[in-house]
Formats: sequence, structure tokens, C-alpha cells
Amino acid sequence: MMITGRAVLAPAGDADATPLYDDLPAHSAPVLAGFSVRERLGRKGTSTFDRATALAVVACGEALRDAGVDLTTVDPARVGLVLGTTVGSLASTMDFSRETLVQDKPYLVNPMQFPNTVMNCAAGQSAIWYGLRGVNATVAGGPIAFLQAMRYAVRAIEKSQADTVLVGAVEEFTPHTAWSSALSGTVAAGEAATVFVLRRAVTGMAEVLATAAGFTPADGPGALPGCVRRALAQAGASPEQVWAMATGDHLDDGEAGAVEAALGRRPLDLSPRARYGDCGAAAGGLALAAVLDRRADAPADAVAVVTGRARDGAVAAAVIRTVPE
Amino acid sequence: MSDHTEHLEELREIVAEVLELEPEEVADAGDFVDEYDADSLRAIEILARIEKKYKVDIPQSELNDMRSLKAVYTVVARYAGWRD
Amino acid sequence: MAGLTLRARVVVTGLGPVSSIGIGVTAFRAALREGRSGISPIESFDAEGFPYRDAGEVKDFRPETYLTRLSPAAWGRSAQLAAAAARLAAADAGLPDDACADAGVVIGTTSGESQVVESLVAQQVAGGFAAMDPGTLRQFPAERLAAGVATELGLAGEVLTLATACSASNYAVGYAFDCVARGDADLMFAGGADSVCRWAQAGFHRLGALTESACRPFDKGRAGIITGEGGAVLLLENADHARARGARVYAEVLGYGVNCDARHMVAPDEDSIAACMRLAHQDADVKPDEIDYICAHGTGTPANDLVEARAVRQVFGERIPPVSSIKSMLGHTMGAASGFGAIATTLAIADGFLPPTINWTTQDDELPWIDPVPNVARPATVRIAQNDGFAFGGNNAITVFGAAR
Repeated sequence: MMITGRAVLAPAGDADATPLYDDLPAHSAPVLAGFSVRERLGRKGTSTFDRATALAVVACGEALRDAGVDLTTVDPARVGLVLGTTVGSLASTMDFSRETLVQDKPYLVNPMQFPNTVMNCAAGQSAIWYGLRGVNATVAGGPIAFLQAMRYAVRAIEKSQADTVLVGAVEEFTPHTAWSSALSGTVAAGEAATVFVLRRAVTGMAEVLATAAGFTPADGPGALPGCVRRALAQAGASPEQVWAMATGDHLDDGEAGAVEAALGRRPLDLSPRARYGDCGAAAGGLALAAVLDRRADAPADAVAVVTGRARDGAVAAAVIRTVPE
Repeated sequence: MSDHTEHLEELREIVAEVLELEPEEVADAGDFVDEYDADSLRAIEILARIEKKYKVDIPQSELNDMRSLKAVYTVVARYAGWRD
Repeated sequence: MAGLTLRARVVVTGLGPVSSIGIGVTAFRAALREGRSGISPIESFDAEGFPYRDAGEVKDFRPETYLTRLSPAAWGRSAQLAAAAARLAAADAGLPDDACADAGVVIGTTSGESQVVESLVAQQVAGGFAAMDPGTLRQFPAERLAAGVATELGLAGEVLTLATACSASNYAVGYAFDCVARGDADLMFAGGADSVCRWAQAGFHRLGALTESACRPFDKGRAGIITGEGGAVLLLENADHARARGARVYAEVLGYGVNCDARHMVAPDEDSIAACMRLAHQDADVKPDEIDYICAHGTGTPANDLVEARAVRQVFGERIPPVSSIKSMLGHTMGAASGFGAIATTLAIADGFLPPTINWTTQDDELPWIDPVPNVARPATVRIAQNDGFAFGGNNAITVFGAAR
């Protein structure tokens, strides 16, 4: 299964977020300060998009272009989309719900915002924008959502539910996420949209050789080493073949340690870590992008491991073989 | 400006905003659905904004008759008691 | 995949409904047969100011009765509903605790931990963002629905939450079916969960899609949905695995189809739904004239039921099987809806009856070809049945079940 295109919308670093929002725990944050959906896609049809949806629609378009997918020549029923998220747009749901408390009557909500309260809004609107009528799914997995989406997408193609699947994850920065991170005492909230184009092909950027998933309760020993070993076994790759790893961790070194436990050594660590803030569901996409960025350095016949783990104990891993440029 | 013109222009602005258009793009007789891609959500929001602005209650059953600016004006005038 | 790759047969061996018409399979089956209504005045939030104040709440749900590992204080209501439903499914399947370890779970949802999010909103309205409670913030991620099940049952397999709105349980059953059919797992828990919340009550009311107290799908006078909640989980099992342990088999999962309208976020699309039915039939390797019963999406809105009925006619032609909607009893349980539909479909096959569409009084001349099984359950031999699920975002998903062989 080949990755034939990609789009990464991620901030270059911290920026002044006050032109975007008034009520923030800190003025500076890892946000896409210059992002304007109106500039990118025009006014028509975009004014009701929340930020997560806007980022997703733009990233899907960039990924399709990057992969050279011409939607006028392929059957749209054979093109799918799988997106990862944490809760969709927390701002959309909270603000919509807030209206039910502060308006004269609780039902005086804006009907045009109601679709934004469902977590599959970004995937649904992206499908509408580009006319993607194949399998369309939204995976709510938080930090491992991107890898889960990849797993879902690979299966959809293997099952012949689609020929081409856009697979990605998106997380928006709003006062809601910024305060949530600040009050929870974690890394500052960031935002990113990462979308990759997946299909059966002989050429491309990288091959997805295997994915695996597992679980142990949060207070257990951790399921990641076993998950990485299973993914490698499925890929037919030995631990010695792993030249690089990229984790979704932004808290500590725990994930890298788990990969080391699985491999018996620590390969080149390309984890983006806190470079983009906590990008939630998009963390795995940023990790994969970090591997693709360094594909010129990959030894022949070597593989990279991309991992993620969620706080409650779910883990996932993918084994990637990059294709030389 | 007469009351009639003023009300019509206010309604035009509401309709334009909800349908993502400039006010001058909304013709008096232009069909919201066929010409401006309106859907039921936008129609309900137009109704909601009108109700808020003029403090009137208009039942959703009137929406079927509110497919152009002119038609909207007629319905709102009836409920708001405009005699312009 | 049908016809090209060998796949393992997948059977349903456990059912776990946590619903407004009954908790556990015995109570739920009896309620379906009786045509009981689970609709009652809203108690989970202050419904003052809402013109319509009824919902399908699971008022008898006492999480501590079912949950042995999850602390209700640390997990949101939707995770608790999902975990309790999975507990019941495991018990119904006669699975001892230690036999679940390699199992996985897929839970579908529309609004995840909506009541947790609404607690945050109340805190924010009262004291600004800074007043949000860290303990509450810990509970809002939707991934906790599947994680709650896995924690409660001690699972080590794949743990996935699918958020494809109101067809999400069918997505979950489909994904779990693939896991078992491919041989990735012998046991998968699959279903959905959602909780009644203010924002859904307000949003559907604003769309004019809410009705006052009796949801009447396919009736001429149908006026909308009633919001509902619950947890609905099925245990899917490799058929050989089930036979080896002597498990009781309710029905077989034959396949499923998913597609996307890609036209409108909330308006259903006849052609796209018809296409999804054909995809499901193809995957299940069945023909329309082999299907004995359709457990409808049947929300009770004028638009949904008309579009669904037309799609059925498009696909089934002259021979249209009975089509009933259990939303007449449960209300619209959102992400759990097609999970309850899957349980009802399974029971229809296993026990030989069609669940009724209650509150039905008047034939709609626009859809005369629909036999909604009005008001009273009907004895019937159901060999193959389909379970419809449609959603905001145009996410259609349909599952197909067959009699145990």
C-alpha cells in the first residue's frame, strides 16, 4: 500500500494568537496564524466551517493535488476518506451547547452550526467539497487516531471498498483547546492537519507495510512494545532493519523507551515531540511526515516505525518503508 | 427612504449574509434554492434572524413560501403588521 | 473481498442492550415483542424552555450494578453505557472474564461524552474557561468509549471508537466483522453508545426535526424524531471458535456496505442510500429477494422515511419485505441506534418475529409499498435481514445478518 501524496498544515513555531482569539491562557501559541479558509477556498460554502473542518478541507485538496489525483477521471465512488480526531471541534460543540444556556430560549441556536457538532463534520464536508463518495469514516482516537485511520484505510483498500483513500487527522487550536491543555497541565495545545493519499501503486513516497493496535489499561505495563513487535512481524521486517522511529509523544520519552524495548536498541529518533505543541489526533501524521522528510537518509531495505499511545492505554504502530526520491 | 425600501434592504442584507452573497447579488425575485444554493438549514437561519430582528414569530410552515426576497418580504409584512 | 479471498464465518454469540425499553437481552426482547415505548419526560438536564421535553432516557441505568472495574466517577456516561452493554454481551455469551483477553472492541458514537462536554460548558458559562475542572477535562475525549469497554473487560486487542454519527454502530459492526473474518481476532465487541444532551435537543428542534412525544416512523402524520440514548453491544465471534466452546449462536453476520452521499451534511440522498444497500448485499453475497426483513433507519422525520422508502423500492423492486423502525420505541439513540437495530435484527432472526413500528395510525400515500409492521410484533421466519444506518455527513452504513447455519 503506497503513500502517493501528502499535505501537512502545521505551524512553524509559536505565533501571536491574539489576532485570532481574545480569551486565551497565553498570547503566544503554536497556531497557524495566517490560515484563512476564505483566502484558500473562497467565501461561498465556507462561512459555516469551523476551523477543524476548514483545515481538513484545505489539506485534502493539497494532498489530492500532491498525489496528482484527477477527480474528473476517477470514479468518485471509489475514492474514500478516513480522518482521525479527538472530539471533532470542541469549540463547535461547546459554543453550540452554550447557546442553549444563554439565549432567551434554549432552542435559539444557529441551525447552520448544528452539523459542526458532529465529529464527522470535517470528513463529511471534505467529501462534499471534492465529491468523494467512497468509504468515509471518522476515527475518534485522540493521540493514536491518525494511526487508527491509517489502519482503517489500508483495510478499506484491501477489502476493495475503495481504490484510493485519503487518510489523515486534524486538530484545531481554539480557546477551548488552549484552556483545556493549560488547565490539564500538559503541553500547550497546537493545531495541524495532515492528509496522505493511499492506494495500491508501484511508485510513491513510502509503502505502508503493516499496522498493529493493542491495549492495556492505563495503569498496566503498556502494550506498545508488543504492538511494535507484531507490526514488524506482519511486515516481515526484523528489528535490525529499523533505521528510524517517530513517536507521537509530546509528554515524555515513554514511547521511545517502549520502541527501544521492542527493538533491543534505539534507532534514529525523528519524533516531532513538542515542536508543534500538542496536536492531538494529528500527532501521528506529523510523525509520519517527519519520516518522509528524511527519506533521503534511509538505508536500502530499511524500515521506519511510527507509533502512538493514548492516555487510557490504547496503542498503535505502523511500519513504513520509504521509497528513495 | 420609505419604510418599504428600508425593510426590503434590511431583509436583503440578512438573506445575503446567510447565503454567503453580497447584498447586490440578491435579486428581488431570485430563487434562493435554484439560484443561490440555499438549503433548509440556511432557510431556517434566515427565518431565525428575521424573527430576532423584528421580534415576530413566524411558523416554519411558512418557509415553503419564502423562496425569494420578495416572497420573504410578503410573509414578514403579514406577521409584523407592516403596512408599507 | 467476496468471492476473491477466503474469509472466516462470523457469528453473533452475545447481546448487550442498555436501553430505555429494557436492560439486558431478556428485557429488551420482551419489550420489542410488546412494542413498549421508552419515551418519558427528560430528567438528565433541565428541559425548562424547550417546547418538547420528552426523550428516550435510560432511567433505570445504575452503572455500579454492571461495572466491576470502571469507577463511574472517573468515566463519562457514554463510556459507562458502552462498558455496561459490553459486560452484558460477554455474560450473555457465557464468556468467562479470562476468556476475553485477546478480544478487541469497536464502539460507534455521534456525540461521544456529550454530557461531560456540557458539564464543561456549564462551568465555562459560570466562571469562564479558567473555571473548567481538570477532572472533567480528563473525561471528554471520545476515544474513552472504546477504552472504557476495554478497561472494564480487560481486553488486549484492537480498541477503536468510530465517530461517524448516527450510523456509527453499523460502522463498528462492519469493522469488527472484518477483524474476525480476516482472522485478526476471534472475538470482537461491537456496537455504540450515546447520551441524551441539551445540544441535540436544541439542534433537532431548531431544524424542525423534533416531535413532541410520539415518534411515528412511516406514518402519514410523522413529524420528527425524539432524542434517545443507550449502549448497544454485540459480541462477534469466529464461527469455529464459537462451535468449539459450545456457544449459543444467535445469527451470522453476512457482510456490510458503507458509502458517502457527498452532497449535503444533513439531507439524506436516495440514490446514495440505494447504492449503499447494493454494496451491503454484494459484500454479504445476497440478493434483494432473499431478504425477509429490513430494520429501518426510520427516524420518523418526513424526509428520512420518504427517502429511505424510495431507496428500498429502487433496490427491492416489486418484492419489498416488511420494514419497521424500532426508533418508534427507543427514540433516536444516535450513535447507538444502528447497534440497537443490529440487536433487534439478530433477535428477529433467532426468535422468529418482526419488531413493530409503534404509534402508527395512518398509511402515507407517498409510500404505500412500505409495510411497517404496525404496532404489534409479528411472528415470521427471518432467514436474512438488513439493518439500515444513515447519518449526518452522508455516512451510510448497512449491515446484513443471516440465520445461523
